[in-house]
Amino acid sequence: MRTTRFYILHMLTGALVAVFLGIHIISLHLDTILGFFGMDVTDAVAFESMMERAGQGIWAALYIALLAVVLYHALYGLRGIILELTPSPKAGRIVTRVFVIIGIIAFAWGTYVPIALLSG
Amino acid sequence: MAEESVKQIIFRIQRYDPEKGRILRMQEFTVPASRGMTVLDGLIYIKEHLDSTLTFRTSCRMGICGSCGMLVNNYPHLVCHTQIEEFNSNKLTVKPLPNLPIIKDLVVDLTSMFENHKAIKPYILRSDKQEMANPTAEFAETPQELADFLQFSYCVKCGICISACPTSASDKVFLGPQAMAQCYRYCADNRDEGQQERFPVVDSDHGIWRCHLAGACSEACPKGVDPALAIQLLKRRLVSQALGTARKKQPAKPVPPPTEFKEKVPFPDFTVKKD
Repeated sequence: MRTTRFYILHMLTGALVAVFLGIHIISLHLDTILGFFGMDVTDAVAFESMMERAGQGIWAALYIALLAVVLYHALYGLRGIILELTPSPKAGRIVTRVFVIIGIIAFAWGTYVPIALLSG
Repeated sequence: MAEESVKQIIFRIQRYDPEKGRILRMQEFTVPASRGMTVLDGLIYIKEHLDSTLTFRTSCRMGICGSCGMLVNNYPHLVCHTQIEEFNSNKLTVKPLPNLPIIKDLVVDLTSMFENHKAIKPYILRSDKQEMANPTAEFAETPQELADFLQFSYCVKCGICISACPTSASDKVFLGPQAMAQCYRYCADNRDEGQQERFPVVDSDHGIWRCHLAGACSEACPKGVDPALAIQLLKRRLVSQALGTARKKQPAKPVPPPTEFKEKVPFPDFTVKKD
């Protein structure tokens, strides 16, 4: 059931990408709508605002979760396409390992800033 | 009686002979076609009267054996039950099924399809080995339980679904719609308990999750089987199994033949008058 579990996760992360990305887009780019609901988000895309948000636990967790689900969804999807074009099991194993390494590096790199800000 | 009209139909046939070099070429033959003639009749006419070297596979000539799957005017058909008239054209292009290696002319190698078919264990698997080895009775099956998988058991293993499948075109080791539909056919059978033995075969990197649900297999199937539906239903089984929400069903039990019989209703007397 390994492939099925990975595929279920692939679908689940697809739905989560829409949720997390939706929160991100609304908070950063739809300040007029947020203003309508009485929330003050002036200059949400400014560097200072971003650093301030990244230092808050809830926002840091959201960005880390968004990064994780985007990476899994994108890399698993891309792996599927490549596997379809590389019929040999050996090539399949290489593709999987390369994508796992890429995913870990990208996740570590992407989470460095919020974790550094949170820790101090 | 009106004279039967005969049309001259041009058959453009893809030829390939590995012994004469790996070159594909098209060859034209003119075939006199009358009403009711199938594409297979046309090919037999060519072999008997025009070119005896033309190679194609055929057997039953009634759409049961699944031998004569070919690409006619760029669409896969069983040529034995495809009439020439259907195409409303005086030109027919006949090629071997795509996505399968060609052996010669219109004959493709179906080995990979049969290997995949064998891999999913297309037979009833049960834990009661004793009953399987020495059956004492029939297994009970209601008409509704039969209807759950009946359409999938009409598969004649012609390979047309594989030739229509876009994933089989790009992924040469893809399990294919035929094997997966048959996997569902046996898993859905109430007499079977072999789901756990079959799932590892379909739950692989080149298995069920590579299906894009294009539906081309179902559209092309000459027997009206819906492999795309079977694949979707099999996906549902796999997901419920993985999430632990699958309902456990006991397989059908052997039902001994009845010992008591109702009294037979006497056959009615004939009332036809002889005079």
